[in-house]
Amino acid sequence: MTSRTSYITQEGPANALALNKDNSQVVIAGRNVFKIFTLLDDKFEEFCNLRVGKNLNLNFSCNDVAWNLIEDHLLATAATNGAVVVWNLNRPSRSKQEHVFIDHKRTVNKVSFHTSEPMLLISGSQDGTMKCFDLRTKEATKTFYSNTESVRDVQFSPHQAHTFAAVSENGQVQLWDMRKADKYFQHFTAHSGPIFACDWHPETTWLATASRDKTIKVWDLTAKPSCDFTIHTIASVGRVKWRPQRKYHIGSCALVVDCGINVWDIRRPYIPFASFNEHKDVATGIAWRGDPQSFLSTSRISTIWSIIKTCFENPLGSNNNPTRRQVSEPDAVNVMNLLPIGTNNDQLNSVFDNDVRSLQSESAAGAATTATTGMISGGDDETETDEPLDNNHFTGPYLTNYRRLPPDYGKRHQPKGDFSFGECELDPLPNSIIDFSNGGDNFAICNDNNWSLPKEAFPLRHEIQNRSPPPEQFPNHPPEVNNEDTGSILIEDQPCQLVIQCVPKPTFWNPSSLVENTLRHHANIKDIQTTVSILLALGDKRKSINIEIALQEHWLLEYIDMLGKFKLWDVATKIIQLAWISSVSQLNQQSTTVHTCCSTCTKSLQRAGWLCDRCHSSKHALCSLCHQVVKGIYTWCQGCSHGGHIHHMSEWFETNKTCPTGCGHLCEYS
Amino acid sequence: MDDEDQYQTGYDVGSFPKDFGYTPFDGEAEGTTGPLTGDQKPRILLMGLRRSGKSSIQKVVFHKMSPNETLFLESTNKIIKDDICNSSFVQFQIWDFPGQIDFFDPTFDSDMIFGGCGALVFVIDAQDDYMEALNKLHMTVSKAYKVNQAIKFEVFIHKVDGLSDDYKMETQRDIHTRANDDLADSACDQIHLSFHLTSIYDHSIFEAFSKVVQKLIPQLPTLENLLNILISNSAIEKAFLFDVVSKIYIATDSSPVDMQSYELCCDMIDVVIDVSCIYGLREEAAAFDSQSSSLIKLNNGTILYLREVNKFLALVCILREDNFERQGQYKNLFLNLVFTCKLYCYL
Repeated sequence: MTSRTSYITQEGPANALALNKDNSQVVIAGRNVFKIFTLLDDKFEEFCNLRVGKNLNLNFSCNDVAWNLIEDHLLATAATNGAVVVWNLNRPSRSKQEHVFIDHKRTVNKVSFHTSEPMLLISGSQDGTMKCFDLRTKEATKTFYSNTESVRDVQFSPHQAHTFAAVSENGQVQLWDMRKADKYFQHFTAHSGPIFACDWHPETTWLATASRDKTIKVWDLTAKPSCDFTIHTIASVGRVKWRPQRKYHIGSCALVVDCGINVWDIRRPYIPFASFNEHKDVATGIAWRGDPQSFLSTSRISTIWSIIKTCFENPLGSNNNPTRRQVSEPDAVNVMNLLPIGTNNDQLNSVFDNDVRSLQSESAAGAATTATTGMISGGDDETETDEPLDNNHFTGPYLTNYRRLPPDYGKRHQPKGDFSFGECELDPLPNSIIDFSNGGDNFAICNDNNWSLPKEAFPLRHEIQNRSPPPEQFPNHPPEVNNEDTGSILIEDQPCQLVIQCVPKPTFWNPSSLVENTLRHHANIKDIQTTVSILLALGDKRKSINIEIALQEHWLLEYIDMLGKFKLWDVATKIIQLAWISSVSQLNQQSTTVHTCCSTCTKSLQRAGWLCDRCHSSKHALCSLCHQVVKGIYTWCQGCSHGGHIHHMSEWFETNKTCPTGCGHLCEYS
Repeated sequence: MDDEDQYQTGYDVGSFPKDFGYTPFDGEAEGTTGPLTGDQKPRILLMGLRRSGKSSIQKVVFHKMSPNETLFLESTNKIIKDDICNSSFVQFQIWDFPGQIDFFDPTFDSDMIFGGCGALVFVIDAQDDYMEALNKLHMTVSKAYKVNQAIKFEVFIHKVDGLSDDYKMETQRDIHTRANDDLADSACDQIHLSFHLTSIYDHSIFEAFSKVVQKLIPQLPTLENLLNILISNSAIEKAFLFDVVSKIYIATDSSPVDMQSYELCCDMIDVVIDVSCIYGLREEAAAFDSQSSSLIKLNNGTILYLREVNKFLALVCILREDNFERQGQYKNLFLNLVFTCKLYCYL
């Protein structure tokens, strides 16, 4: 399996990059470059240059860029002069600049879109404030005063829609609630130096912070923030990004000294899991391309002419069998810290091979390029191969570029002190997979070339286990009619109404296999709506059809998913209601509960709505008119979040329009 | 600071003897700072318990003492005021604050002391038991806040060089929580304390001072913006505007400050001043004057470039050697910037 690297040159340094919703395009932004590229298989193609117009003022000099992940045509940039600029790619004119917010007095370091509200944008600035912008009203709706020095990064939580994290130059992390602009609800000192970046873990409530004190820390925020993992790097860390689908992996790039991009396993804090040294200058931005095998990066470059580089390569190891790797890696990762008991050799090999390469590259020069048997000790780390391995899946064209070691495992993780940290870390990791001798590189994308079809046609909303193979598999079984009674009559092209009309006469002719084939045929040609409609129309008769329930469920879900994409929610709901499979028909009964939380400590209110178990107060449940605790129905304004007894509120709003607390909000009572 | 002028008039800071050796242009400083005279300059008070390291900070930052020599400094056992006024931006008054001082002593004129000051730096010895220091901090801060609400409170958690990384963090967090809890308990929530980990053995003390000073400069956004424009239109990677005497940076562009570059720039200033002292034309001439400029090429392809802005400020830039040839075309811009900076410094 090949892996590829490609790159493209740009004038001027890039400060940041962002991918669009479906990872097909990338935007890079810098002091004097601002362009969108389409990502092709092996190269970049310039899609549009946004740095156009008569007066190229400072608004075009970007510190950061963000791409709206819901509305694909919206972009936002942070300028060094304090402006936050919104770009609309749908604008007919050549200049795509939509609006400029000039609310910040000093440089804006970071912009970031809300994860679910496409029209909300937040910015973090050098002046120590964060501002929330509403793109509909085109104004800064809220200002959050961090009371610290410059805010370096703001990131919305993917788990709680209203929460965002802000990190600042004095080493503090603050967690804010969008609705409460007066004060953060949690804060802690995370580093002894300035923090430059943070990233929420996509699955768990972890926050990774990167600082000038040369560490990356992973904070568990479920209760009191606690530092679960600390990674020690050799230089100040500029950016961090979690690797998708790999719980313990995080990518980072340094701010100075180290030009490489490192991927770390957070449980092994001193040696990177993999590293890439394609860049000739410090990398300024990294982004994963949705899957764990490919990423893009930009770099600052000293020369005015710089190079953008794409490397499509299998970055994280030399495993040539991607499907196996995908399945196996979680196991293998665990094994790294434990003992490799009962795990496939190949899998282990693939993971350890990385480690070995990064650890022992010097001594690896003379090592064989195919897996060998026997005992080999590499470098300072006195480990041995316990078991002969003879997997020969390293047959890619880059074999000669690999300096591979026979994979050794089993003992090497037990004596942790045996690693020669200093030597390996300071060594500029000479084992880059493909050595490009470019003068400098600005931009790189790494990907492997594994174009195997995805198993599921659509990303599934729910995790479904024991699912039968999806329809893509069915071309292997050509739709042959093996009918017993009527002989082979091919009616595939017949309108479906005809087929259904045939059903009422089962005594003469059993159509079930014909219907079954029809259904499969329609599913195969991606005409899933026909398939599901026929199935629905069949009613109880569908029991006689010999199609697995799991496949039927899969079809249903796909159809619902498709309807969702066309925003036909009504139809989708009808389908769900008519569904005969319980797991589908229960879809619209899930997530119907709204949990309330205490407004001071955000602990969810379980026992009673008016008393918080943690802070033992009912402050959140006071009526704003009578100042008594509301034990019955509490009604409140969605805008200003003040409220109280429902009858008090209705009385009040008969005569008044503004909020009874005097907050000045014009509440609507209906 | 409405009441500033009122207290300034009767308060002569120059009445104490200045017996410190290194201030080459002490005498002429007042006269040449342009319209920004001593009274208008922000003033910084340095306070803390005895033996917390205030004298050492003062000696190292403002008198160029080697950090190792501070070991031999005598303990200061009475209130000592030292006036450092040779900087164009900040007037430092260091108050050594012995533990036995009583705020309720009628002779202690808190109005006079706190009224005119822009920032109060409180030094806490991190290697010592800091409980007493925290009490003192709380007392000082609440007293000062009553007198002058515009005052900025900065806490230096000092002598952290002897602590391990983890312990450093733990100490900072502990001090932070306790100090803020104390303030919250006495209903002084609105007081904001900033914390800095400092040590005289590296440049952290200089950086901390830089941040304190930057908070007191109203022109900071403009200066920062100017430097941003400079680096975005040239190949310069990082630009600092230095106060030459104290090696504090008054402003920098908005890209992250990395310690090594800052240290390099500081060392460069030392080198330039030392060389100019040795090889200067006249013995009595100041080591740094309005004609100063310097260029140092490092062996890793980096160039340090120093250019005076005014008598006290210098612009120090870091750029790559291969870009330097192209710098000619930025020369005009550069000069423009220098003059604009000058303009703003005199505002």
